[in-house]
Amino acid sequence: MSDDRAALSGLQQFGLVLLRTLVGWHFLYEGYFKLVLPAWTRGGALLPAWTSAGYLRAASGPFAPLFHRLAASSWLPVVDHVVAVALVLVGLSLVLGLFTQTGCAAALALLALFYLSAIPTHGLHEPGNEGAYLIVNKNLVEAAAVLVVLAFRTGRIAGLDRLRRGPARAPRVEEAA
Amino acid sequence: MNLTPEQETLGRRNFLKALAGTPALAALGAAAITRGPVKGGPVRVGWIGTGTQGRALMSRMDPAYADVLALCDINPTSLARGDEVLAKNGQHPARHYRDWKEMLAKEDLEAVVMAPPLWMHADLAVGCMEAGKHVLCEKMMAWDVPGCQRMLDAARRTGKVLEIGYQRNYNPVYQATYEGIIKAGVLGDVYHARLAWHRNGNWRRTGEPPSKDYDPSPWGYPDFEHLLNWRLYWRYSKGLLAELASHQVNITNWFFGSTPEAVQGYGGVFRFKDGREVQDHVYATFEYPQGRTAVFSAIESNAFDNYYEMFMGTKGTLILRAETDAMLFPEGDAAHATAVEVAARGTGPALDASESKPATQTSTGVGTTRAGGGETSERGLASRNEISGFCSAIRVGTPLKCGPERAIHSARACIVANEALGKNQRQAITA
Repeated sequence: MSDDRAALSGLQQFGLVLLRTLVGWHFLYEGYFKLVLPAWTRGGALLPAWTSAGYLRAASGPFAPLFHRLAASSWLPVVDHVVAVALVLVGLSLVLGLFTQTGCAAALALLALFYLSAIPTHGLHEPGNEGAYLIVNKNLVEAAAVLVVLAFRTGRIAGLDRLRRGPARAPRVEEAA
Repeated sequence: MNLTPEQETLGRRNFLKALAGTPALAALGAAAITRGPVKGGPVRVGWIGTGTQGRALMSRMDPAYADVLALCDINPTSLARGDEVLAKNGQHPARHYRDWKEMLAKEDLEAVVMAPPLWMHADLAVGCMEAGKHVLCEKMMAWDVPGCQRMLDAARRTGKVLEIGYQRNYNPVYQATYEGIIKAGVLGDVYHARLAWHRNGNWRRTGEPPSKDYDPSPWGYPDFEHLLNWRLYWRYSKGLLAELASHQVNITNWFFGSTPEAVQGYGGVFRFKDGREVQDHVYATFEYPQGRTAVFSAIESNAFDNYYEMFMGTKGTLILRAETDAMLFPEGDAAHATAVEVAARGTGPALDASESKPATQTSTGVGTTRAGGGETSERGLASRNEISGFCSAIRVGTPLKCGPERAIHSARACIVANEALGKNQRQAITA
């Protein structure tokens, strides 16, 4: 173990890797679920094919015109597939700690798109959401979590990146703060 | 069964009160989804028999669950009408076949939904299962008991899903009744059930053949009239007991948790002496274990009583009328009707095309449903759920509500009841 890594306590390292794994699982399952559709629940209900059309049509904020055009375009099936595959790849990256920095950057890009397409400015409870949000919603919180994971290069604390590049030169706690 | 409007309202209120503690079925669905989904789209289906009942089923089908690729019928007019139903249901056109074997050979089907005349059920269902297709077969299961047994054996041998179309099993009213009233013991000890299906009209249909030179004899019908009115001839049909009683006996078996051991009956062609062979009036008494008795009557001369199943227990009476209406009367509360309602009543759902509807209703109903197979009546919902349930049994193995092991009992009871009527003597019903 290098001197640099010794700057992070075991609990801190565990917490960072846990954070990365949980965020990764969230991305991975969201992507997997979209790819597996149309599908059936074990209880026998049919789950229709997933499409981002409704989400894109309802988009607001600075990219709204672009999203609206995409929703109405013939590119929609491609967009649907790209989003689902991107979610899976980002999820795998974060869960496995492989190409973690790239995975984090892609996760940030996706979350930024999701956030910017629907910035909660009204501060009211929305149907389908379990809470009321003003400016800060769970996409933004998850983006901040990914930023932390990115900053601490957690793939080299624990993950397949260690096999690629060896143990990390992780920043000291005070440097990262 | 004549109730005043006040009694009906009271009965409905009692029923809903008794159901108040029933756990939400949705919770079961939520628990199931935690195991993750199984990939797959709608089931690829071929449809054998696009007569009135076949089309009624098709119109109620949810296209998200079943994708109809092909229709098969020996009557070109029925095929064309099937296309109309598919179009109104928001589905793409299907290819047409007269020969079901050709359909199975040429189409990439997973399952077959079939509503042909009763005498064809066993051969078609067994043939389809042996060709590797799952089968949803309209009730009654088969024309005779050996036919039923062949279907059951084929399902076991091939491992294919075989569901028999008793839609009451999928009706939310009956499911809620079973869970909240029957299993909960609200009725006390039930010794008697009254099963009635009363209509006032001629069962005989009229219609034009698809062309002047149309000849159905290659398929076993000497002329078009025999094809159109197959229900009236013994070679093809088992009469009112098969078309009507088997539904109600099936439900009684479910609610009693047993099957009848003997039956006696009486009936005949008393009103419509027009060459038909099957009776227009039928009365049958089914004897169940533990001193329980179900009395069935089907008459074609008076529709005042409509159709219903009534379960009479030591603590209360349950009435399930026309597959839509449920009423409960605690014993000693308001059980006795003292006034008779004689005003014209709605006799069942507006959308109906099967033999189960009152004969006074002449609307075919097919094609009047909303796009997407939507229908709001409990009866329509039941058929919709039945097809969706069949598809989910294929995809993820959800339990069948009326598989062959269950359906064979009501079929056997009604087949033996016909024998009892014919011999005018009590007949034992043995497996």
